Amino acid sequence: MVWGQNGQVKKKTYRSLYFNSSTTLVPPIPVNNSQWFRLLNSIRFCCLSYLTFNSQRFRFLNPPCNYPKSFCSRSFLQIVDNLSDEQSMKELVTFQVGSYANFIGSHFWNFQDELLGLLEDPQSHLIFKNQNLDMDVLYRTGETQQGIPTYTPRLISVDFQGSLGSMSSRGTLYNHNPSPSSGVATWTGNVSTQASEPHKKNLFLQRLYDEGQEINESEILDTDVVKSLEDGVQYWTDFSKVHYHPQSLFELNGLWMDPKEFNNYGIGRNTVSEGLQGDEINERLRFFMEECDHVQGIQFMVDDSGGFSGVAASLLENIADEYTNVPVLLFSVRSPNYYNTLTSRKLSITSNLHDAVSFSALSSLCKLIVPVGLPSLNESRVSQYLNVEDVKLYQSSAVYASAIHSINLPFRMKKMGPTGESSNESGAMDLYECIQMLAGQGRQNTVAILDAAMPPPSMTGKRFQQPLLGNLHPLTPETAHDVDDSQAIETMIVHGALGAGEKEVSVSEVREAVETEYENTSSTRPRFSHLSVSRCPLPIPLPFPSIFNNLVGRRGDLLSNSPTVSESPSRRGPLDVHSIPMAARLRSSTAVLPFLENRLGYIRKFGIERGSIGANVLTSWGFGREEIEDIGENLSKMVLALNPQQEYSSDDSD
Amino acid sequence: MSLRVLNPNAEVLNKSAALHMNINAAKGLQDVLKSNLGPKGTIKMLVGGAGDIKLTKDGNTLLKEMQIQNPTAIMIARTAVAQDDISGDGTTSTVIFIGELMKQSERYIDEGMHPRVLVDGFEIAKRATLQFLEKFKTPVVMGEEPDKEILKMVARTTLRTKLYEALADQLTDIVVNAVLCVRKPEEPIDLFMVEIMHMRHKFDVDTRLVEGLVLDHGSRHPDMKRHAENCYILTCNVSLEYEKSEINAGFFYSNAEQREAMVAAERRSVDERVKKIIELKNKVCNGTDNNFVVINQKGIDPPSLDLLARAGIVALRRAKRRNMERLVLACGGEAVNSVDDLTPDCLGWAGLVYEHVLGEEKYTFVEKVKHPHSCTILIKGPNDHTIAQIKDAVRDGLRSVKNTIEDEAVVLGAGAFEVAARQHLVNEVKKSVKGRAQLGIQAFADALLIVPKTLAENSGLDTQDVIISLTGEHDNGNVVGLNQHTGEPIDPQMEGIFDNYAVKRQIINSGPVIASQLLLVDEVIRAGRNMRKPT
Repeated sequence: MVWGQNGQVKKKTYRSLYFNSSTTLVPPIPVNNSQWFRLLNSIRFCCLSYLTFNSQRFRFLNPPCNYPKSFCSRSFLQIVDNLSDEQSMKELVTFQVGSYANFIGSHFWNFQDELLGLLEDPQSHLIFKNQNLDMDVLYRTGETQQGIPTYTPRLISVDFQGSLGSMSSRGTLYNHNPSPSSGVATWTGNVSTQASEPHKKNLFLQRLYDEGQEINESEILDTDVVKSLEDGVQYWTDFSKVHYHPQSLFELNGLWMDPKEFNNYGIGRNTVSEGLQGDEINERLRFFMEECDHVQGIQFMVDDSGGFSGVAASLLENIADEYTNVPVLLFSVRSPNYYNTLTSRKLSITSNLHDAVSFSALSSLCKLIVPVGLPSLNESRVSQYLNVEDVKLYQSSAVYASAIHSINLPFRMKKMGPTGESSNESGAMDLYECIQMLAGQGRQNTVAILDAAMPPPSMTGKRFQQPLLGNLHPLTPETAHDVDDSQAIETMIVHGALGAGEKEVSVSEVREAVETEYENTSSTRPRFSHLSVSRCPLPIPLPFPSIFNNLVGRRGDLLSNSPTVSESPSRRGPLDVHSIPMAARLRSSTAVLPFLENRLGYIRKFGIERGSIGANVLTSWGFGREEIEDIGENLSKMVLALNPQQEYSSDDSD
Repeated sequence: MSLRVLNPNAEVLNKSAALHMNINAAKGLQDVLKSNLGPKGTIKMLVGGAGDIKLTKDGNTLLKEMQIQNPTAIMIARTAVAQDDISGDGTTSTVIFIGELMKQSERYIDEGMHPRVLVDGFEIAKRATLQFLEKFKTPVVMGEEPDKEILKMVARTTLRTKLYEALADQLTDIVVNAVLCVRKPEEPIDLFMVEIMHMRHKFDVDTRLVEGLVLDHGSRHPDMKRHAENCYILTCNVSLEYEKSEINAGFFYSNAEQREAMVAAERRSVDERVKKIIELKNKVCNGTDNNFVVINQKGIDPPSLDLLARAGIVALRRAKRRNMERLVLACGGEAVNSVDDLTPDCLGWAGLVYEHVLGEEKYTFVEKVKHPHSCTILIKGPNDHTIAQIKDAVRDGLRSVKNTIEDEAVVLGAGAFEVAARQHLVNEVKKSVKGRAQLGIQAFADALLIVPKTLAENSGLDTQDVIISLTGEHDNGNVVGLNQHTGEPIDPQMEGIFDNYAVKRQIINSGPVIASQLLLVDEVIRAGRNMRKPT
């Protein structure tokens, strides 16, 4: 995408394959030949990192690990000493469990891929070039058996068998799938082949494929691609432009049921505990963990509307066991469709019980849980500049992915020394600090609310007409509005903010604006707040759905009046909007009380009360009487932490 | 009907329709799996929508790959998979046996017989067959040194149904030796102590048994040795990485110095632990050219790696939890959870430790150990689906050897048991029972013949001829099985074809139970979904 040009500019679909090897191997300081040779030899065995020197970054094709003191020359030593523990790269491992989590994840990785592409594109805008984000936090460097370097997400995705559409579960980089006709090496007898109908690649994937094969400028037009995605996304892989590692994509098999019936905690729990599938997923996690030097944490997205929360719970148990000190940030997501499936009373009781059980289990297995997923995104206040069709997972997941991307940014910012404030971003923190801040102090509330403004209003100029804080609306369901909570803690990230007249706003200006707003706001100021700012906006990749309404401009600026009234129902997508500013916030506040109280109510009413309707259901999920009471206890503890005045003794349930 | 009043949407199948639904589902599943059976069966290549290939001749794997939705079929499949969990093999046999029981019953039921009578007959026949199996089995004495030949024969019988002969024979030795390696007197065999590792490299025939361990990761420091001889092995579960403690979150410092002091203190405690390991190394290795290898279940961060490397120690981090146990069994020593009281007694020993790199994948071989009680089967193959298939076969082979040792018995294979049991039921048991239950016994006896019948069918032989000649031989008092090449009767004992006793017993046990349950269903009620649609 080229900035400032008018007319139809063909949008590039960035797809980071691997590094451009020609530019990389540069010694930061001249060293003599024998030292250089030694370095080249030793880096074969190491994991990747950047070296920073004189504010330049050097990325090696296969660069040395963070601490190459012993094998490098003295001149290297100087550089390395500046990279203390605090500054060295800290990896994140990402989990996506369940269908909707994978839809969100797919968008999430598309953003990362777009950022990587923009970083290397000589034509891209300066703010993308200077983004100063450490992508190695999320990505890993590898090498195929043929010696081709690869750069893939450090990700484990779990989904139903057959949910990968036209993508192979082995990814695309590591092996060229042998054709079925190549014969069977291990059997001399008869062979019967059962081939499923090959999934047809949609226009978008076709174009990606063509570009990968370097077929000259493919004839598939942007508009056609966008249209085909709008109409026909079935699998999350249909709009993914990322290359995955063979260890990343895991398909659950042997379920023997309709995916619709895989709808509760108990079923999911049994699936993984039986057989070796749970072990295999844990092995894959170990694969990614082993190569990390300093894991900062695990970010976990789970589709908690069904059996996958049971799957996730048993995976989380293993994490708590094996990697005790690695913090887990959990987004429990659910799609708007989930709320429409509850047709009968029996189903809704089951699902209420599931909500309570799954929330209780998941929240006790992570350091911070963020419930995400509104019953109707389009009718919510978040969507004042959006136009989302709730039934389309492809569209709604994009909104949540954007917010999660924003929340994730501070974890990747370079930490500066005490004096070094970068002009491009500020407020770096790692996952542990973030969790510690929100959940580790005072009330020890481990449930956070996710708020987003997509896009936020301009930061300077008409500041007081459209305050930023007032534009942040929750993506977490069942929250209370306008709560005065003097104990609230929040962490906010604003990136790519624009000021009056489409001008980018500097980091310090954003800080100032937010500070002023906190001072002027009518409601109670949170007890503690943290702000991260980056100048890099959210790039809108080609496979992003057209969900902006016509008040959103090319760079995410808000037009005061829609350009042409005649096309008012139209939606603007990646061809009209190239990037948007974003603001997102994690908030620990009493506003989440309704969410907790509902779940506590469910387990009391349907589970604990004598002769309650749901007791049988819970028994069939493998919960004994005592465990059910534990769940109630656990939930009421969480409520009490936020609301000590309220009487929630368990006596009144009997 | 009362149900109609309660739920007008519920769908009800009456007695005969319900029964036929069950019978058809059982037959359908039988048809799918039938061609798998035996050394002449058909291997299935499954090509997914994205071109992914799976190869399998294992009923268990195939069932798991199938998206079964019919409730009856799911019931049968679950039984079969449970069969695999319990005894390690016999999935296909279970499915076709249940299918055949249903098929035989159908004939009688169509003639107006009540399923209850058949089920009673099944029960009698089942008990009689199990008693007969006790008499029929060939006891094997497992003393201190089990008879390797008989173990090999059992393993070979299993493996030849999954892999081509030459490879099966090669793997036979591997699995038998692997099980004997991990076997300890007076203790149940723990097959988890046999590590199964795979490398996408070379060919299937390069699969081998490593006496020792293969780990799927390597050291993470360029200065550590890639090849070391005469190594002390320290197996530990100690965190050697800098971790933030609870109070150490960045928001509670009043000034930068305080923060740095905290960081330094944390760092120092990690370094202390590393130093203790180095001390031990110096103690045992000084003055010799022995080496020292640390294999840690927890992480080791770059500064610690660096310290270890400078001390000449090879260190691996994040080892599998199970490998902690395996390492100790293979190399000796003990797994330590703290570095506070390290003694040379904690250390194991390996003659050779080296690394093998394939692209980004690294493998560390710990070999030449002294008295291994754990070992690794290293599977090699040119592509993933070949490796996966060999892996399945190896797993079945290991189970069959384990079963044999634990059962202290084997059963003659190649269909010999089924034919003998059938003749026993028809000639003796049936006559001792009065009334219509006889028909149940007859149905059960005929259903047993499905195993030799399917073996014959898969070999392209005429099933009737085969059954007649086999039953004829049995009536003459000769216990014979089927020669899959010629269709002639053979003596399985001479040919070395043996099945597991536990597998057979489990099939005879669970098959009739499920079949009886399905036969006694006289009404199927389903609220919500149309069950008549084809699955």
